[in-house]
Amino acid sequence: MNITSYLALAAILFSIGLYGVITKRNAVMVLFSIELMLNAVNINLVAFAKYGIFPSISGQVFSLFSIAIAAAEAAVGIAILIALYRNKGTVEADKYNSMKG
Amino acid sequence: MNINGEFIAFFIFSVLAIGGAVFMINLTRVMHMALALAFTFFSIAGLYVLLDAPFLAVIQILIYTGAVSILMIFGIMLTKHKDEDKVAPFTVHKLLSLLGVGGFLAIVIWIIYRNPFFSTGEPQAAAFKVTDLGKAMFKTYMIPFEVTSILLLVALIGAIVLAKREEKK
Amino acid sequence: MNKDWFVLLVLLPPLLAFLLMVAGRRILSKRMTSLFGVLSTGISLVFSLVLLVSSLRSGVSLPDWEFTWLTLDKKPIQFGVTLQPLNVLMLVIVSLVSFLVHIYSSGYMKDDERFTVFYSYLALFTFSMLGLVISPNLLQIYIFWELVGVCSFLLVGFWYFKPEAKRAAQKAFIVTRIGDIGLFIAIAMIFAKIGSFELHDLKGAIEAGKLSSGMITLFAILIFIGAVGKSGQFPLHTWLPDAMEGPTPVSALIHAATMVAAGVYLVANTFWLFQASSVAMDVIAYVGGFTAIFAATIGIAQTDIKRILAYSTVSQLGYMMLALGSVGYVAGVFHLMTHAFFKALLFLAAGAVIVSLHHEQDIRKMGGLWKKNKGLGWLFLIGCLSIAGIPPFSGFFSKDEILLSVYANGRYGLFIVGVIAAFLTAFYMFRLFFKVFAGSHEPKTARVPWSMTGPMIVLAILSAVAGFIQFPTHFLETWLITGGMKSLHGPESIAWIPVLAVIVSLLGISLAYLMYGVNKWDSRRVAQAVPWLHQCLVRKYYVDEMYHSLIVLPLKGFGWLLQVWDRYVIDGLVQLCGWISMRVGKIGSTLQNGQAQTYALISVVSFVILIVSLLAGRLFG
Repeated sequence: MNITSYLALAAILFSIGLYGVITKRNAVMVLFSIELMLNAVNINLVAFAKYGIFPSISGQVFSLFSIAIAAAEAAVGIAILIALYRNKGTVEADKYNSMKG
Repeated sequence: MNINGEFIAFFIFSVLAIGGAVFMINLTRVMHMALALAFTFFSIAGLYVLLDAPFLAVIQILIYTGAVSILMIFGIMLTKHKDEDKVAPFTVHKLLSLLGVGGFLAIVIWIIYRNPFFSTGEPQAAAFKVTDLGKAMFKTYMIPFEVTSILLLVALIGAIVLAKREEKK
Repeated sequence: MNKDWFVLLVLLPPLLAFLLMVAGRRILSKRMTSLFGVLSTGISLVFSLVLLVSSLRSGVSLPDWEFTWLTLDKKPIQFGVTLQPLNVLMLVIVSLVSFLVHIYSSGYMKDDERFTVFYSYLALFTFSMLGLVISPNLLQIYIFWELVGVCSFLLVGFWYFKPEAKRAAQKAFIVTRIGDIGLFIAIAMIFAKIGSFELHDLKGAIEAGKLSSGMITLFAILIFIGAVGKSGQFPLHTWLPDAMEGPTPVSALIHAATMVAAGVYLVANTFWLFQASSVAMDVIAYVGGFTAIFAATIGIAQTDIKRILAYSTVSQLGYMMLALGSVGYVAGVFHLMTHAFFKALLFLAAGAVIVSLHHEQDIRKMGGLWKKNKGLGWLFLIGCLSIAGIPPFSGFFSKDEILLSVYANGRYGLFIVGVIAAFLTAFYMFRLFFKVFAGSHEPKTARVPWSMTGPMIVLAILSAVAGFIQFPTHFLETWLITGGMKSLHGPESIAWIPVLAVIVSLLGISLAYLMYGVNKWDSRRVAQAVPWLHQCLVRKYYVDEMYHSLIVLPLKGFGWLLQVWDRYVIDGLVQLCGWISMRVGKIGSTLQNGQAQTYALISVVSFVILIVSLLAGRLFG
């Protein structure tokens, strides 16, 4: 097996996640997409841990941290979403335009 | 390329992961999307097994396929949705996104396949054990581990504060 | 007693009156206004007479005084007063005519709503004109020169609600501007050459032979161009008849007696400059002679009473120029003076005619006024006789001097021109006289107030007797050429010239009498005999039309082109810049729509563009 296959897979998943983040109108879907992107990065880390030029367990450790933080991010993200939903009455991302200049 | 078991497994898992992701993007009902995403997470866990990271695979299933997906489903249920996410018209925004992301993907893939750094022959195939991970975790990365626990605590409290209904004054 | 201050007493009252009237134009009553105006010019008149007397008595020119106004590149630029006999004479003429016109205006303008404004303009004009005639240097002359131009513009356009008056004012301003540019260039060049605006410095430079003769000729011609503009000489004469759209007192004061004589004054004042260049003298003489006969022929065919007088003014100014060009310094200045009197008289009388005929100006509709208003008829007749050159009226003496100096200067062609012009002058003036006063008409007349009649009587007396200051004693000449102008002695008189002049004038008068007085010869038949000539004269030799098609239209076309260029190219560029900025701003504000996803998209696209541009070399290398 070659590292490039894993990297390519990760890149594809990351791109799909990115596309979702940019285009999805539903804020929950945006959060989903972000999780997908984080997972793609994790694949990269684990793949490098095994197939990199200098294989090391550190890649897996980083992946663990990343998963932990992603979990926290998901929790906070959902909390923010609920708060926003309560204030704006919608979860449509394009209705959140209070940043408008 | 020789077709061995690892390759077949990788092929299946990667197809499942990408398929799940594509379904997640294209499905119309939010709940279906959540399920498709859970499927992707599950496939990624399988990839971790292939990559000699069984502990991470278990964690992936527990946290992502389990906890995060459930959290998302709670999020979906706590907010109101027009259940049928209307098929949005193909806008300039989407076209540009497609082009931008496509360009991004093309560049990354191009880099991956062109860079000799990534394709140095056969891997050393260092076999890791879970004990190695535990040692690294609790010896080398002790302090970050503890800090992460604090981060999780803060995130917990923060999530509660944010999601708590505001008191009426 | 120090006479220095007298000149300020001449100069300042009109200025004070002007300031007072401008400041109090809402509160001053008409009576107060006219009182101020008459009083201020009266003071000016009294003190200029004092100056005149002291100038006459001292036998030498009064001392000049000057102060340094500012220093430019270590060259002092001065302001001051010079009181040569010529300056004093002009002071008296200006303040006298101005004084009389102020009195006259209180009657003529009494029904006008902007009475105070009119008087303030008159006062400003008087001040400027007095300042002009005592200026010792070119810069000061130029300042006052432009000031009188402005006053002329304001007064011609006084009834600005009449479109003709507005157009005439603009025309007067623009046409004289052409001449002023000549003067301006002359002043600038003189300063560049000799480093001073002072006339006596220029004179010294010429006498010391510092200037080449070509340079002197150039200066003289340029100054003369200024005089041409102001004095209505051909080819810049067209503004003067149109300026008759202004109120009649203005025509009398500015466009007959004083301002238009400023050109003649300027030439006379810088006469040593012209004397140093025979070419310049020729130019003056020929332009003057041509203008004299040219304007006189036009005068024959005009029908507006004021326009006839205006063309006569142009013609007489041409006479003065002719005299100056023929080294008839005294003759020119003498004619300037007598002309100021009788032309002011004629204009004021014309104003009275217009008033008594209820503002009718077309002489074809006039007639029979003699029976109604004999006094006015006599006054007008004195003016006509004077301008026609019948002894013993003043015009006879001055015109005789002019013809004499032209003849003595050897310009026989111009002498004949002058004689013909004298004939024509007599003819058209008496045509005017008979048209207005003779005939069987029974016009309804309005009363002419005393405030108008009084000044006319004064002027009539002056017109009648002013000639005797030069005859038989040459008193004026002796006085004028005190202070070193010995070369300006007039020639010895030749007996047959005045006889010829009188005969010619009488011929003109008789012809006018036969044609218009008793209608023995029908003037219309004459007009029909040579219709093209008549038409040509009525249309003033098509000079206006020629200017219109040769200068105005091409300029308009050019202006139109420039406007198109400006509007569509320059403005287009400006608007394009604005449009681009606006579009960029619009795009920017569309991007700032507060949608995090749009921002993310832009980041992604930008990132891709960045990476592609960074990798471009490797991608295509």
